[in-house]
Amino acid sequence: MTATLERGLHALKEVIDAPIASYFSSCVHCGLCAEACLFYTETGDPRYTPIHKLEPLRRVYEQEYTLLGRLKKGLGLSKPVTDAELDAWQDLVYDSCTMCGRCSLVCPVGNDIVYMVRKLREGMAASGHVPDGIRNATRRTVEIGGPMGLKWPAVANVIRKVEEATGLKVPVDQAGADYLVLLSSMEIVNYPEYIEALAKIFHKAGISFTVASDAFEATNAGIQIGNSDLAKVIVSRIVDAAERLKVKRVLSPECGHAYMAIRWEGPNLIGRPYAFEVVHVLELLDELRGKGMLKMKSKIKDPLILHDPCQIVRRGGVLQAPEPLIQEVAERYIPIADKQKWNWCCGGGGGASAIHTEEAEALRAKAFQVKKRQIESTGVNTMVTFCANCRIVIEEGFDHYQMDTRLLGLTELLAEHLEE
Amino acid sequence: MQGPLIDTLVRQGIGRRTFLKYCATLASMMALPPAAGRAMADALAAARRPSVIWLPFQECTGCTESMTRSHSPTIEGMIFDMISLDYHETLMAAAGQQAEEALHAAMKENSGKYLLIVDGSIPLGIDGAYSCIAGRTNVDLLKEAAAGAAAIVAMGTCAAFGGIPKAKPNPTGAVAVSDIVKDKPIVNVPGCPPIPVVMTGVLAHYLTFGSLPELDDKLRPTAFYGETIHDRCYRRPFYDQGKFAKTFDDEGARKGWCLFELGCKGPVTHNACATTKWNGGTSWPVESGHGCLGCSEPDFWDAGGFYKALSMPADPLKMGAAAAVAGAAAGVAVSFANRGKKRAAQVTHETTTLADLEK
Repeated sequence: MTATLERGLHALKEVIDAPIASYFSSCVHCGLCAEACLFYTETGDPRYTPIHKLEPLRRVYEQEYTLLGRLKKGLGLSKPVTDAELDAWQDLVYDSCTMCGRCSLVCPVGNDIVYMVRKLREGMAASGHVPDGIRNATRRTVEIGGPMGLKWPAVANVIRKVEEATGLKVPVDQAGADYLVLLSSMEIVNYPEYIEALAKIFHKAGISFTVASDAFEATNAGIQIGNSDLAKVIVSRIVDAAERLKVKRVLSPECGHAYMAIRWEGPNLIGRPYAFEVVHVLELLDELRGKGMLKMKSKIKDPLILHDPCQIVRRGGVLQAPEPLIQEVAERYIPIADKQKWNWCCGGGGGASAIHTEEAEALRAKAFQVKKRQIESTGVNTMVTFCANCRIVIEEGFDHYQMDTRLLGLTELLAEHLEE
Repeated sequence: MQGPLIDTLVRQGIGRRTFLKYCATLASMMALPPAAGRAMADALAAARRPSVIWLPFQECTGCTESMTRSHSPTIEGMIFDMISLDYHETLMAAAGQQAEEALHAAMKENSGKYLLIVDGSIPLGIDGAYSCIAGRTNVDLLKEAAAGAAAIVAMGTCAAFGGIPKAKPNPTGAVAVSDIVKDKPIVNVPGCPPIPVVMTGVLAHYLTFGSLPELDDKLRPTAFYGETIHDRCYRRPFYDQGKFAKTFDDEGARKGWCLFELGCKGPVTHNACATTKWNGGTSWPVESGHGCLGCSEPDFWDAGGFYKALSMPADPLKMGAAAAVAGAAAGVAVSFANRGKKRAAQVTHETTTLADLEK
């Protein structure tokens, strides 16, 4: 019960840095970021203009770190950031921002708006203005080990079933393996085929791997809620396990934000470089494809499109791997207009999919219209993606709009068509 | 054309009466007592032609034009014609070696007595090579001619103050006569070009009284340069009433209001244009609707723009640099303060636990 406005403002003072200062100073109020944000384009409500979502952070920056702002504050001319304001801002910072980064991409002056949202969330978390769904996911991750409350015995059970289904061994806590395989709870619970696919591909390529019983979870709710202390606790589990098992590489699962957390935020959170390399599963697959080790026995005939998850492609930088991989397995891959780094978000990233209030779900459904249009404009019946969270959110969208589109996971698709 | 000046003037159709009136006017212009007019007339009438050597340096010949090309014959022009102009490149018929011989003969014959008139500035850059006559640099010629002169008249702003050749960035290293010659009496007659009557006034005074007229701190005859254009401007009442033309075609301009806001430099320019006018008293710049450029003041070309009101800073760029320095200093100070503040916030960081997420 210690989240207070003071702690929130203190946190903001702590995280405001030179990039933030230059971003706020260089914003020209052009509004291009609004047109890039699916919450604005699908609702038409200017409240959802990305840079506007940062107003409390901007005012703290102005009042604490600019000459004029400090003078105005000293004279009592500035409007202080209040608890009520932060409360009113919660839906702008969490419900209607998936940190997809399309706004950062279009900003003509190069402002990384997502970077700022991430920092504003530090203050929101410290002042207690976070959605219950994300708070609970964080609690479960820190206390139990994963956002869905999964414990190792349940995971071990799933692994056993995978071994039975594939007839392949999935090593656990095996030191000296090439790869430490991370999973996301979503995959363990909803898409265990992913683990089967991995086992098959590793076996085929002759690469050794292991799963760590104390660090199987790749996702990091601490980053989604916006608290670096907790995010550090969570990411340290993986770093400790990987360094204890002396693996060469840590394999991020398809899950987008897990990749961002372990690959990009992790070293900054722990304050040092890793002793291992982090690769996304698609990067590994593309590497194998390049070596001719990913031969397909057949291809999927249906025309299909690709949904590029934001945190892997646009924010994560895995730009070139997905298309060659999908072409490897699809006969009729149709590139969409806004593909690769320009893709539209599923609407549930950045923790948004964990918010289950009525308003948040209604907003998510509304935002999904952009995805719906993408699918309808190409006239296909099949979509492929590579992020467990995108899959959940898109399935929910299909359900909401009663669409009969089929959604597939790329890794599974590849494993399914892999030469025996 | 030997003999007293009055004989020559009479031959030209100028009667004694006219000449006396002219001298009286000249005397009053120079603020001399009324009796001085008669003394001046006597002296001038009897004067033998004084030897005058005119050296043109970095100039445009505008000063000579001003003196000689009045649209109708004037007494100034005639007096000017009557002096023994022994050397003047533009006006003399001789050229080349003959001209140089004339110069040296005049300098030798009249050593210590001739009047030296200089127009144009003197370049000192690359050893004076920017302007040479007969293979010799201007500075060399000036020093030689000045040595035997009784007095020197620096005609025009270039000779008096350096003028346009000296304007930034002064590529030739141009300087004024007074920057080089230190041991001779010098009279500066600035203006671009100078008013002809000032020239004859100085000559008349020299011939009448055997001395140069009273000069101000910039060596200008106070009789002509003692007051500013603004002091004597016929538009001055409008200035006093606060009636200003804002553009060259507005109602104020048509009504002949003060041109101060259009950049008139009259308030800081010492010259006699407002009283003597130009072209035989026809008009003068302000009367024609244009502000004074300040041509008789030093460095008038670099005074910040002819159309910029005097109340505006002449050189805002320097202030810009100063502002930039002040801004940068303020920025550095703010950045240090900010770093301190941020470090303080980081030092007082309390590690968040799960309990801290609850409100």
